[in-house]
Amino acid sequence: MKKTKNFLIFGLVLCVAVIFGATSTVMAGDTIRIGVASPFTGDLASYGDNIKAGVNLKLAEINGAGGINGKKIELVWGDDLCAPKDAGTVGAKFAADKSIVAVIGHLCSSATLAAMPIYVRAGMPVISPTSTNPTIGDVGKGWFFRNCYTDDFQGKYLAKEVVPNLLKKKKVAIFYENNDYAIGLKDSFMAGAKESGIEVTGAEAYVAKTTDFTPQLTKLLTAKPEAIFLCGYHPEGALIAGQARKLGFNGPLFGADGIDNVDYIKIGGEATENTYCTVPFLAEASGPAGQAFAKNFKAATGRDVDWMSANAYDCLGILADVIAKTGADRKKIRDGLAAINSEANGYKGVTGMTYFNSKGDCAKPAFVKMVKDGKFVSAR
Amino acid sequence: MFLQQLVNGLIIGGIYAMIAVGYTMIYGVIQLINFAHGEIYMLGAFFAVTFISFLGLPFFAAFLLSMICCAICGMFLDVLAYRPLRESPRLAALITAIGMSIFLQNLAMIIWGSRQKPFPHGSVPAYFGQIAVTFGGVNLSWFHIFIFSFTLVMMLGLHLTIKKTRWGKAMRAVAQNQTMAALVGINVNRVITYTFALAGALGGAAGILVGAYYNSLYPTMGYVAGVKAFAAAVLGGIGSVPGAMVGGVILGVAEALGAGYLSSLYRDGISYAVMIIVIILIPAGLFGKLIKETKKSM
Repeated sequence: MKKTKNFLIFGLVLCVAVIFGATSTVMAGDTIRIGVASPFTGDLASYGDNIKAGVNLKLAEINGAGGINGKKIELVWGDDLCAPKDAGTVGAKFAADKSIVAVIGHLCSSATLAAMPIYVRAGMPVISPTSTNPTIGDVGKGWFFRNCYTDDFQGKYLAKEVVPNLLKKKKVAIFYENNDYAIGLKDSFMAGAKESGIEVTGAEAYVAKTTDFTPQLTKLLTAKPEAIFLCGYHPEGALIAGQARKLGFNGPLFGADGIDNVDYIKIGGEATENTYCTVPFLAEASGPAGQAFAKNFKAATGRDVDWMSANAYDCLGILADVIAKTGADRKKIRDGLAAINSEANGYKGVTGMTYFNSKGDCAKPAFVKMVKDGKFVSAR
Repeated sequence: MFLQQLVNGLIIGGIYAMIAVGYTMIYGVIQLINFAHGEIYMLGAFFAVTFISFLGLPFFAAFLLSMICCAICGMFLDVLAYRPLRESPRLAALITAIGMSIFLQNLAMIIWGSRQKPFPHGSVPAYFGQIAVTFGGVNLSWFHIFIFSFTLVMMLGLHLTIKKTRWGKAMRAVAQNQTMAALVGINVNRVITYTFALAGALGGAAGILVGAYYNSLYPTMGYVAGVKAFAAAVLGGIGSVPGAMVGGVILGVAEALGAGYLSSLYRDGISYAVMIIVIILIPAGLFGKLIKETKKSM
């Protein structure tokens, strides 16, 4: 009895702490405040670093030029750890803070899916640079936008273009993470594979943060696939690459945008050679605006540009453009974003032309990268 | 495929067993579930990597030094966190254990950063990657052989220490009755601290093996491993050292075979289901004794 009581008190204290933490607001000065939600700590912190580098570069440009109609932009960081439950907390915090007029994020599809209903209730416009799960547009009810392609497109592109024409393989095993991003990607890949006549020899799942993938890999390899689809994020992808090579698999590995991170090579080492992945932005293969951006980015941050930074950079650019026209008001920003609905009034950024359909999705091409001699290079 | 899955399961099972004996030994002497044990395992891996990359030590020297450091960490854990609470209700010590777990995790994030790290390339002896024996289509590398034999030697050594040495006798005496042990002249606190040291060294060794074998370490790696090993200890009968060894191996093999033949999606679920079924059928665990709850209420 005493035990239950102790637990109840503990739970009560916890609830109070959460509520106070969520509603504490910072007084807004004469700035336009925009929330940025990403994993800034935890296993996927390096993704958060990418987002930070991209938006900070754009922020410096906008504020350096005097801000938007004389008002400076201020960014508010929300660390969601790429976890749905933490994304909910960040979402509630942003939604309750009336001085925040828009959100850039979240990074992971699972996080965006979890936070989106909160934003919809609060009437908060959200633009994600990276969430590719196809179903987010439905959950977003008009408040969600993204400047990256969806997994519907990405998965089919892998199945119809990358595997048959670039890898020239016919039998593929899928190893997917059990989350919204990877399941969506796997499903669209399987649909595409059916159309292009690629045989899926097996599909196995894993849970994030696992270190031992050998049981599933052993099972997948018995069907003798010619290539393995790393359907998930880079920390696990790197380990899977290493363990697959240890089990004697020498064929190509391929994945989607989740694999594209320098840490993939850093962790996986030699095993990651001959890995292909699709990305929404590739400096080497993009136009002059992209090339110039890559150079600026390198000068400002000292590292090579990645697609997440480029997309995040454009996200802030799109928001700044809209706010300059409509003013800093959540509802008006949403309407302004929704008005970017055709190529004629699209936003021309470093990642190409962005305009949204009724679900907030955009049509953009995919590029293919590969790991060669310990480095990501253009695959074509 | 069956043999390969068996090998996969035995490797991870041996590692679970090494962590699980730490839980069970500490539970044996002070009836505390040391939730910070998983963090000692994590520290083991990080210490080894630090010794290799900053001091340039060879693998085995770093391995040994890291085990010693983990033993010391275990002792500190006991002296700083648990000893002051020895006479308090068990719930207080349990909450402290959870607190220490969170504290150590965050400390590691501050020191080493939150990103996942590889084991330094080329630090593991080159012959570890080479194939030692092949049977039934399964290739066993020297690393496999090392993990198997190291686990076996450690378990055997632990068993003999507990059964044959004076110190082991003292430990068993403390486990049976602390007051009586003190009356016959055993320094109870010292025995408990040494138990923490021993548990720490084994947990740390498991961490290094996992870090090197799967080539990855991160500050939160202790959580899942800790929970699995705890399940293994419960499966074998918490408080029983042979039980923890067997429990670890059963859990590892169940996990590998479950993922191989049933559904990989429910891999963790399968291993926990095995635990639950055993506990329902044999409430004390495979090797545990049912004792009536006496003294000390929660």
